[in-house]
Amino acid sequence: MAREQIPYIQAIGEAVHQEMARDDTVLYFGQNLALTEEDPFVKAFGADRVRVTPISETAEIGMAVGAAFAGYRPVVQLYMAEFMLVAMDQVVNEAPRFYGMSGGQVKVPIVLQAGYGFTAGWAGQHTGTIYSMFMGVPGLRVVVPSTPADAKGLMTAAIRDDNPVILFHNYLLTLEHGDVPEGEHVVPIGEAAVVREGADATIVGIGWTVGKALAAAEQLAGEGIDAEVVDPRSLAPLDTATIIQSVEKTGKLVVVDQATRHGSAAAIITAEVASQGFSSLKAPVELVTALDATIPYSEPMEQYLLPDETKIVAAVQKVIGSPVVA
Amino acid sequence: MTTGVAGLDGDVGLRLLRTMWRIRVFEERVGQLTRADEVHGLVHLSVGQEGVAAGVCGQLRPDDAAYSNHRAHGHAIAKGVPLGPLMAELMGREGGVCRGMGGSMHVVDVERGFLGATGVVGGNLPLALGSALAGRLLGGDQVAVVFFGDGAVQGGIFVESVNIATLWELPVILVCENNGFAEFTPRSAHTNVERVSDVVAPYGLDRETVDGNDVVAVREAFAAFLDGARSGGGPFLLECLTHRLRGHYEGDPQHYREALAAEDWQELDPILRLQQQLDHEGFEVEARAEVEEAVEWARSRPFPSPEVIAELVYA
Amino acid sequence: MSENGLSTERLSWMLTQMVRIREFEERVKSTFEDHPGVIRGHTHLADGAEASIVGSLATLKPDDQLTATYRCHGYPIALGTDTKAMMAEIYGKETGICKGYGGSMHLIDIDRGFLGTSGIVGQGIPHAAGAAWAAQIRGKGQVVLSFFGDGASKQGAFHETLNIASLWKLPVVFVMENNNYQAYTRVEQEDANAAAGEPLAVKAKAYSMPGETVDGGDPVAVYDTVHAAVERARSGDGPTLVESMVFRLSAHGNIIAPPGVPLHYPEHEAVAIFGNVEEYEAAKRGDPVPRFRARLVTEGTLSAEEADEIAEAARKEMDEAVEFGLESPLPAPEKAVEHVYA
Repeated sequence: MAREQIPYIQAIGEAVHQEMARDDTVLYFGQNLALTEEDPFVKAFGADRVRVTPISETAEIGMAVGAAFAGYRPVVQLYMAEFMLVAMDQVVNEAPRFYGMSGGQVKVPIVLQAGYGFTAGWAGQHTGTIYSMFMGVPGLRVVVPSTPADAKGLMTAAIRDDNPVILFHNYLLTLEHGDVPEGEHVVPIGEAAVVREGADATIVGIGWTVGKALAAAEQLAGEGIDAEVVDPRSLAPLDTATIIQSVEKTGKLVVVDQATRHGSAAAIITAEVASQGFSSLKAPVELVTALDATIPYSEPMEQYLLPDETKIVAAVQKVIGSPVVA
Repeated sequence: MTTGVAGLDGDVGLRLLRTMWRIRVFEERVGQLTRADEVHGLVHLSVGQEGVAAGVCGQLRPDDAAYSNHRAHGHAIAKGVPLGPLMAELMGREGGVCRGMGGSMHVVDVERGFLGATGVVGGNLPLALGSALAGRLLGGDQVAVVFFGDGAVQGGIFVESVNIATLWELPVILVCENNGFAEFTPRSAHTNVERVSDVVAPYGLDRETVDGNDVVAVREAFAAFLDGARSGGGPFLLECLTHRLRGHYEGDPQHYREALAAEDWQELDPILRLQQQLDHEGFEVEARAEVEEAVEWARSRPFPSPEVIAELVYA
Repeated sequence: MSENGLSTERLSWMLTQMVRIREFEERVKSTFEDHPGVIRGHTHLADGAEASIVGSLATLKPDDQLTATYRCHGYPIALGTDTKAMMAEIYGKETGICKGYGGSMHLIDIDRGFLGTSGIVGQGIPHAAGAAWAAQIRGKGQVVLSFFGDGASKQGAFHETLNIASLWKLPVVFVMENNNYQAYTRVEQEDANAAAGEPLAVKAKAYSMPGETVDGGDPVAVYDTVHAAVERARSGDGPTLVESMVFRLSAHGNIIAPPGVPLHYPEHEAVAIFGNVEEYEAAKRGDPVPRFRARLVTEGTLSAEEADEIAEAARKEMDEAVEFGLESPLPAPEKAVEHVYA
């Protein structure tokens, strides 16, 4: 009997717990966790492997790197992606570089768990979508699960991966419930998913915007437009092949991203399709991204900036109605 | 040792009490408004810590730069930010000090020298140093003050700031509200140095630890540092031992600590303590009226139109 | 000679390592003159710090570990890393210890416990604490040494790591080599404690850990101080901050210049920037390598001939390292895209 659906955030925790049980080199630490001996992680794995840290991201991430040199597999709970900015050196310039710089001698199998996109009144410094900053960093993997099942599967894969992985989880999805396999569940890093098949247009959605894309597709179906929705699930490596395969089928592409236009994964995906799949395109690519502004606090302004179903539907209608590219 | 209420000039004591009541009532009202979702998003209230805000900010001028952290409403009010525009900001309205752009954690009022609240722990420290440096270069006697919690002290930016401020003798006063908790964890989970003043001891800056719930003691200790900073000295660190009565944020179930017994809070409450000594009633009622007026005024303000955003990206 | 009763063999070993480090670093420096274009980028030498390096490493057991900075040549030499492979790495050759991927600033020898370096000031300090945490979990009594310079003590990473290491009682010893310069800046210009005339070891009090200052030019004194700290760490009592006073005899690094401008080592900053000739001359007079040799010979621990043999062997070894480096091939260009992901 399949169990009841569980929330997204629980799925992530389940992955960490199961991996810690399977592999005693996995460590879990960060601020505001492991607060008491009653904490389930502390009870299961002991106060050595599960620790609370001060507000010290540079040290937290740096220590993860060092523990990885010494054979451990740390998972750092950073809560918000913006807090990585305080420690950018460790994330971009230390963790992903050692394997290369050492000629392959040392691996850095760390996972950074970073929430993002909390556009629910958390205002300018806690609402950003910054995953694209990390996409081009050689040695660094970036994953953005959009469902609870993928959250568990990608966290599991991230912990097992021998490279540093940032797992971005959207705070707006925290309590979204979904079917999640109870036992071991791995979603390979670098594999996109076609979450809705269709023939008339391809919508690529990332993270929280996948749900928006699916809602838009429902609305479009009512107008006789059959949209295919692709969820990359990983941003680095990016499964360009699956996206291009979809564009070969539909000829029309809309890419949706909660980040701002030039700071988005959408821009990189668009460039790849323009470069590798140009002959399949029957219309220019439409990007539906956040508008270029620091996310304001006030709700109407905050919501105004973000992609939504209406904007996605309009973008699809535009590519469907656009003149054929000569 | 504080000289106590008896040592206060004129109506300073009454002003301190009034400020604290205004903060207390405002914060409790905001708490209600968050539950009604009229104030949305992430809010951190300073109930219990009013003594620090009142004791410090009451002595500052508009040209002194004050910075706060995510728990900023009390500092803003004590620095002179009017309640209507402050409430409107929390409600995300036009007429808010930041036209609804910033919200609770990003309150800024340049006119009153409240250069603002910031949301990332420790991010405000170097900003204050910048203001202090500017003050020094401008040749006047304005100072910079920065409020932060005990949790910020373990962050790398703290020691970088303390080192430079000390090396350059900047006119900045670091005011630490040590309430023993960094979000949901007690200080003992963050460091084995209990007192923040011991963390900075190796740098040799003038420092003091006071009972942050004794607003007169706060005022006195700060006055001495303020004097020093205005006459070319600095930096200084004032550690105020205080108590955050509510959760870290509004909605925090606080499973991580035992609730304070009512009797114990009576003894700690900075407002009750001063009120008993001054024997003055009436500020609470006055504050309620002022806060309600602010709420009504804020509610009457329109939400900003989205086009405003485009105007406020680049200078 | 020392409270810890260092044997003749051990003292002889210490001098040998110091001499080997000096000979290696001299070769690196002279490569710029003798074989221009072979070394690219930025190198940083340990000449002047040999006593501090060797005295510290002499305290370690085989499964102890360490991290260091971009000024990293000295440590692997003392640990026994193949100096041919080290020189080849600095020359960017495929026979280098990192196959040419790392260069001078990123030497590493995991098998000998040298966990690597960061080119970014201060950022290796938390790496050492992470390895110490791993050691604590394993519970086999391993200790980690974290080497960094005085400049790093102004980095947030220093503060954050020392606090956590003290709180968790990690088996790590923080060894700060204070050479009074942060690249081109004097320590009093950037450090509040130094400006007040205090040793930097006072910073340890902020982390509730012991702080010791030692003459980094005396390898036995360094050994005594670091040994006590290592034993403290091994017994589970937590970290220590050791401030080891050294004087680096070369400039911070070779000059920074775009391609086409020949690289070389300029004058030491004491002279070139601050005009302090006497400071530099005094440091040369106090050069720890000949000082230690003279001491061992005077005290009868070694004969002059034995000391000469050590020097001759080191010269020969490092000449061969240079030869090996020069003769080794550069890596094939397409190898650049390997070793990106594990």
